[in-house]
Amino acid sequence: MKRNLLTLVIGAVLIIIFALLLFVFQVRQSETAVITTFGKPAAKPITEPGAYFKWPWPIQKVYKYDQRVQNFEDKYSQSLTTNGVTILTSVYVGWKISDAGTFIQKFPGDPATVSLPNVQSQLESILRSAKSAVIGQHPLSDLVNADPQELKFDAIEKEIEASVQSQLQGKNYGIELEFLGFKKIGLPESVTQTVFQRMTAERQVKINELVYDGEKQATIIKSAADRQAADTLSQASAAATRIQGEGVAEAAKTLPVFQQNPELATFLLSINALQQSLNQRSTLIFDERTPPFNLFQNLPTNSPSQQP
Amino acid sequence: MERNTQKNGMVNLMAAVMVFIAAFVVTVFVNSLAGQGASIFLGLGALVAFASWFQMRLEENERLEKLELDELARAKGESALFDAKESEVFPARRSREQFEKFFVPGFAVLLFLLQAGGAWLLWRWVSKTTGVIVDARAMPSLSLFAIFALLLFLIGRFSVTIARLGDHRLLRPGSSFLLAGAYVCAFTAIGIAGIKTGFPKADFWMARALCVLLGLMAAEMLLTLLLEIYRPRVKGKIARPLYESRVVGLLAQPESLFTTAAQTIDYQFGFNVSDTWFFQLVKKNLLVLLLAQLAVLLLSTCVVFIDAGEQGVLERFGRPVAGGILLPGAHFKLPWPADKAYRYRTEQIQTFDVGYTPDAQSENTKTILWTVAHSREENFLVGSDPVAIQNADADTNDTIKAPPVSLITVSIPVQFQITDVKAWAYNNAAPASLLQDLATRAVVHYLAGADLNDVMSHSRLEAAQELQKQIQTAADGHDLGAKILFVGLQDIHPPVAVAGDYEKVVGAEQTRLAAVLGAQAEAIRTNDLAEAAAFTMTNVADADRQKLEVSKFAEAALFTNQIPAFAAAPSVYKQREYFKTFASATANSRKYILLVTNTQDVVIFDLEDKIRNDLLDVNVPNNSSP
Repeated sequence: MKRNLLTLVIGAVLIIIFALLLFVFQVRQSETAVITTFGKPAAKPITEPGAYFKWPWPIQKVYKYDQRVQNFEDKYSQSLTTNGVTILTSVYVGWKISDAGTFIQKFPGDPATVSLPNVQSQLESILRSAKSAVIGQHPLSDLVNADPQELKFDAIEKEIEASVQSQLQGKNYGIELEFLGFKKIGLPESVTQTVFQRMTAERQVKINELVYDGEKQATIIKSAADRQAADTLSQASAAATRIQGEGVAEAAKTLPVFQQNPELATFLLSINALQQSLNQRSTLIFDERTPPFNLFQNLPTNSPSQQP
Repeated sequence: MERNTQKNGMVNLMAAVMVFIAAFVVTVFVNSLAGQGASIFLGLGALVAFASWFQMRLEENERLEKLELDELARAKGESALFDAKESEVFPARRSREQFEKFFVPGFAVLLFLLQAGGAWLLWRWVSKTTGVIVDARAMPSLSLFAIFALLLFLIGRFSVTIARLGDHRLLRPGSSFLLAGAYVCAFTAIGIAGIKTGFPKADFWMARALCVLLGLMAAEMLLTLLLEIYRPRVKGKIARPLYESRVVGLLAQPESLFTTAAQTIDYQFGFNVSDTWFFQLVKKNLLVLLLAQLAVLLLSTCVVFIDAGEQGVLERFGRPVAGGILLPGAHFKLPWPADKAYRYRTEQIQTFDVGYTPDAQSENTKTILWTVAHSREENFLVGSDPVAIQNADADTNDTIKAPPVSLITVSIPVQFQITDVKAWAYNNAAPASLLQDLATRAVVHYLAGADLNDVMSHSRLEAAQELQKQIQTAADGHDLGAKILFVGLQDIHPPVAVAGDYEKVVGAEQTRLAAVLGAQAEAIRTNDLAEAAAFTMTNVADADRQKLEVSKFAEAALFTNQIPAFAAAPSVYKQREYFKTFASATANSRKYILLVTNTQDVVIFDLEDKIRNDLLDVNVPNNSSP
């Protein structure tokens, strides 16, 4: 009997707990909830946190939505700028449910698996349309520019945000846009390759600048050195000539000495010249009249008649 | 009494089939892995309940047949009826024997295959699937599984008691399955509740546990089939149904653990342990122990432990409790589901990366080069020097002109810390993701307005400081409750495809310097050699001059002395000087002296060089011509 009572108590407690789970639901601070009765949403959504009563499924059903700002990033998609450049952009947005009652009618179904994907799909379409339209009114230099004064990055973001916000308000989705920003800006693959080619060409310009500047400077340095060497040598040559001239001038002071006896001086110069001219190996042919070979004159010789 | 048992069997069968179908539908509805295991278990239970109910009917038919035959025998005495073959006289008994002989073993083998196959397939499916429970359907499904558990518990408990009191062995298998099915449904509900209370793997582990249970049941069935072959057949001993699972019985009635063990030993070997004091003690208090365990489980939800480096946010029925920031340590709260605590890593420095996705293989490399991708890198657009671009554009003949931008790769780790846990928890659905978006946007924005060469060189440090400031401002603007601790520009370089060309520029600079230095070295050599030659030249000239002067003065001195000698004997002196000079001058010359004996024959030697004939052909211009 005691055991049966215990079993009944356990059963009763379990029933109470499970009944509570069926009849009571909680709404968190971060949530907003809409109760539907046989599919018809209540007039006023629950926005305050707490525990609330409901009839069990299938009479009433509770749809809970996150009322915090939710983030969404659109696809990395192609757009054409006003100067004809194709770029890829992706933006992130923050959105939140502003009116859960309207939201549940526009996006019915399970919040996680149906509503949220539907919202993101709608946002994706609106975002892509607004983004392409706004980017199409600007040149690429408004988005990317080495001069920050020329950059209109923030203004373009604001234009896209305003365009998306006006479309969301016009369609009354029950959501509002909180913020928007560029997440990625890039170029299609084919354009990227051309940018790479240009960057390579820029580097080649730098390389040539450096290499040929080096050669230029080297040539200038060598040329200057050659010129300086030539100057040095020519000055040295001139100095040498001057020195030689000075020597000649100095030597010329001895000439009056020789003038005292020109005959002797001439004779001495002649034999000096003879000595210098015969300095090298030479063949000399003399006859017997040439002194000192005249000593051979009148020596007995063989007459031609004595020859055989 | 037997008819009541058969009715109980029918109730068991109906309950098992209905709950099986309902559980399967709810499982599909909520997409629960544990629900799939529970459905398989309940399906097996329905099969067992059907087999036991059918066997009950056969035994009931046999009993009625026997009663009828006994009545006839008493009425007619000896009869030819009993001369007939036994199979003709006892068709119901024959049917029951055939059923036990062929169907029951076959059914046991089928059960084994279904249990083993179910365990294997469910294990594989649970390992592969990435499906998650549909959040909005979790609470209704949880409640339905709880109701199934309650329903099965009440019916199963009643049937088990009936079976035990009346010793209805055929009622036991189905009843045990129903009671065990109640616990399995409760486990499934707990798995779903676990997900709702912040344990996302609860359903997965419950499913794994059910796989193990099915595997145990299959192993037990195989063992039973093997033991059945060697079990001694004692006449009059009623056989235990082969399809009855002791594992399920144990699960259904854990308090009968020792009873089951004792029964098993008794059945196989004839030992009796059910009368021991320990068995009796545990058996009496098992329910109390289970209740105590349940109470402890519920009480355990009244305490929350916040780890070091964490803070918790306490909610009561979804509303944040005033001042309910839980610091590290133990905290008391109302039991689940009234109070719930959510933890956040507030002290821990958290990191995310902008511009690259680290991969394990690249992280292990010791050297990081521009020309080798060291992670999955993204290219960012950056401004370029417009003059250089115009020049490059003018040289390009491509139909697709390169846009006036350059590409750059950056690797920027960002470290942050949560400073306001409530702002972090309640202002954005995915604050960490938003912070990463804001940081990426700041980097994209900064680079879009920067010059490639500047940002790669002298603006690098300023860029890190500027980015940290911008990200912090953006985070504060969205009230994220986070503080940016560090933004590091650990890598800024041109994309891998053009990085080699940037390195060549460095090489070209070195080539330029080498050429200049080589020229300087050569210039030094040239100038030094020229100076040396100049010095030599002037020195030689100086020496020559000296020599000339000295020699001329010496000659003059000599001449001054020669004059008196000449004056004394002019002809002799001249002759003497002549011969002296002649002797010394011709000392090394070959000399031919012609002694002429025949003066009439004069031989003339023409020792002049012959004039070249071609010179005679030269036309000399006529100066006399006008």
